[in-house]
Amino acid sequence: MPRTILDVHIIQSVPPSNINRDDTGSPKTAIYGGRRRARVSSQAWKRATRKAFPAHLDTSELGKRTRQVVEVLATEITRQAPALDGRAAELATEVLTAIGIKTKAARKDGALPESEFLLFLSHRQIESLAELAVTAATEAGSGKVSINKQEAKTRADREHSVDIALFGRMVASATDLNVEAAVQVAHALSVHAVDNEYDYFTAVDDNKENNDDEDAGAGMIGTVEFNSSTLYRYAALDVDALCENLGDATATVRAAEAFTRAFITSMPTGKQNTFANRTLPDAVLLVVRQRQPINLVGAFEEVVADDAEHGRVHTAIGKLAEHARDLHAAFDETPVAAWTFGIGEKKIAPLAELATHTTFEPAVRAVGELLGQRLAATS
Amino acid sequence: MSCLLLRLAAPLQSWGTSSRFTRRNTDRAPSRSGVLGLLAAATGRRRTDPLEELLELRIGVRIEQPGQLERDFQTARSLDGQTSMPLSYRFYLADAVFAVAVYGPDPLLETLTQALRAPAFPLFLGRRSCPPAGVLLHGVHDGDVAQVLADAPWLASKWVQKQHRAPTVTLDTVADCPATEARAELVRDEPISFDPRHRQYAWRSVLKTPVTIPNPMHRSPMPTAAQAGGGHDPMAFFEEPF
Repeated sequence: MPRTILDVHIIQSVPPSNINRDDTGSPKTAIYGGRRRARVSSQAWKRATRKAFPAHLDTSELGKRTRQVVEVLATEITRQAPALDGRAAELATEVLTAIGIKTKAARKDGALPESEFLLFLSHRQIESLAELAVTAATEAGSGKVSINKQEAKTRADREHSVDIALFGRMVASATDLNVEAAVQVAHALSVHAVDNEYDYFTAVDDNKENNDDEDAGAGMIGTVEFNSSTLYRYAALDVDALCENLGDATATVRAAEAFTRAFITSMPTGKQNTFANRTLPDAVLLVVRQRQPINLVGAFEEVVADDAEHGRVHTAIGKLAEHARDLHAAFDETPVAAWTFGIGEKKIAPLAELATHTTFEPAVRAVGELLGQRLAATS
Repeated sequence: MSCLLLRLAAPLQSWGTSSRFTRRNTDRAPSRSGVLGLLAAATGRRRTDPLEELLELRIGVRIEQPGQLERDFQTARSLDGQTSMPLSYRFYLADAVFAVAVYGPDPLLETLTQALRAPAFPLFLGRRSCPPAGVLLHGVHDGDVAQVLADAPWLASKWVQKQHRAPTVTLDTVADCPATEARAELVRDEPISFDPRHRQYAWRSVLKTPVTIPNPMHRSPMPTAAQAGGGHDPMAFFEEPF
């Protein structure tokens, strides 16, 4: 079966900042290639991405919005337990009643009852509700089927929203609620070596200036630790896994586009008001692959020198493109398609040799279109 | 029977065998359960699927480049920001490189090679946020785990090899061994099931042994200009190849 994977590679500079700090207030770091690097944890950037979703996605697009819920549920019950075929419609109605959804006869003759209003159910919710009906029917045997109202409601309430489909969910106490994440986000690492610096600050007490002798000195003194860095950010989206979690190709394409937009443009909010460090990427490379995601961090195992010619962004883009080319050649890897965009024709030129040079929106839409085609071909 | 040789490298990896609750440790070398989990993911097994013939594989790890322990402090909140989860500490091995020999029947190794070339699920080194970097597959080699780990070239990063001045390097290996072996250590690292509803691990005996292999970056010192018959050349020192 052909696979579809989307790699996102980003080079992004941030000015003095403390985007993601540890329990002592220091910006997070890690050693790589023998040198200390600035680090922003994957969790921090995933949260920023999730928070950015509402701006990029109409969640009502995802799942099944229908009045024919009895039919949808009955089909799923039959799929899970073919033996229950004859009772599926009755069981589906039972479940819906337990949730508190009234059904009425369909207008069309011979059709199954419909709900009074349009109902939005995600693929997973349908699955899980059907499962409840099957279990109840099995337990009851030939007796009267009783469906636990509370349980049914919980299952219907449980929103397998896009962010859960993308980032997964772990619930240790109720493992049936677990969802395997479709996206893999690496910790962002600086492409160069960093030393954290300290900002010593004093805060003036505005009301203390009346008496010079008594009120001498600052109201408060302290230090804030910071660094400035050019980060390599990487995420891989397993499109097939996302489609499985969401259960719908259209929803998958929308979710993939929303993820791409949100991941590229979001930034964790740590010390944002202190440093106003919000930037956009210098360069983005989007690659659709069919074998496996490829992390290009190896390009930066050797640090970009502080005195790099034309600056470290320029050098980092060159290294990224070179490493991608070398890895592709070594592994006979041919990406299905790739797009790149960024600041400055000249700067982005090395990536433009590997990928179609375009801008943000057309790139995301081109990715979406290709993913749609590939999903349609596999289903 | 032969060995599949893998190189596990990434800025961060994490291999816990005793992680519980809010403190997620890492061992200093990849765990058997971690490596089998990686192979299982490559072949498309889900967490609930039986591990079958993977459990027959013998695994040995050689520490090419030990890396550094990195502690990551993590806070978590619900998406609406109302509820705070417990603070947690996650430990990573930063900048580490490992050679892993996977010993088993040839047809199975062939299947694994294909699977690792086009893995069913994206691979990661112990934690999802740790995707592998660089070349993972290093071929299938004749011999058992001990032999392959004794013969494989040093797979550390170039900069580590350059820093190591001696002509040979001594690396630690950690390999499966019979429980009857006198120097065996026990770790709870034999996966029985990755099913999140009843994750199960049994005890595993491992044997730690050092091996000494050549350093590929070692160059015997060049004869100085004076020895070579020329005059004094103060720059000769800098011309030592790297």
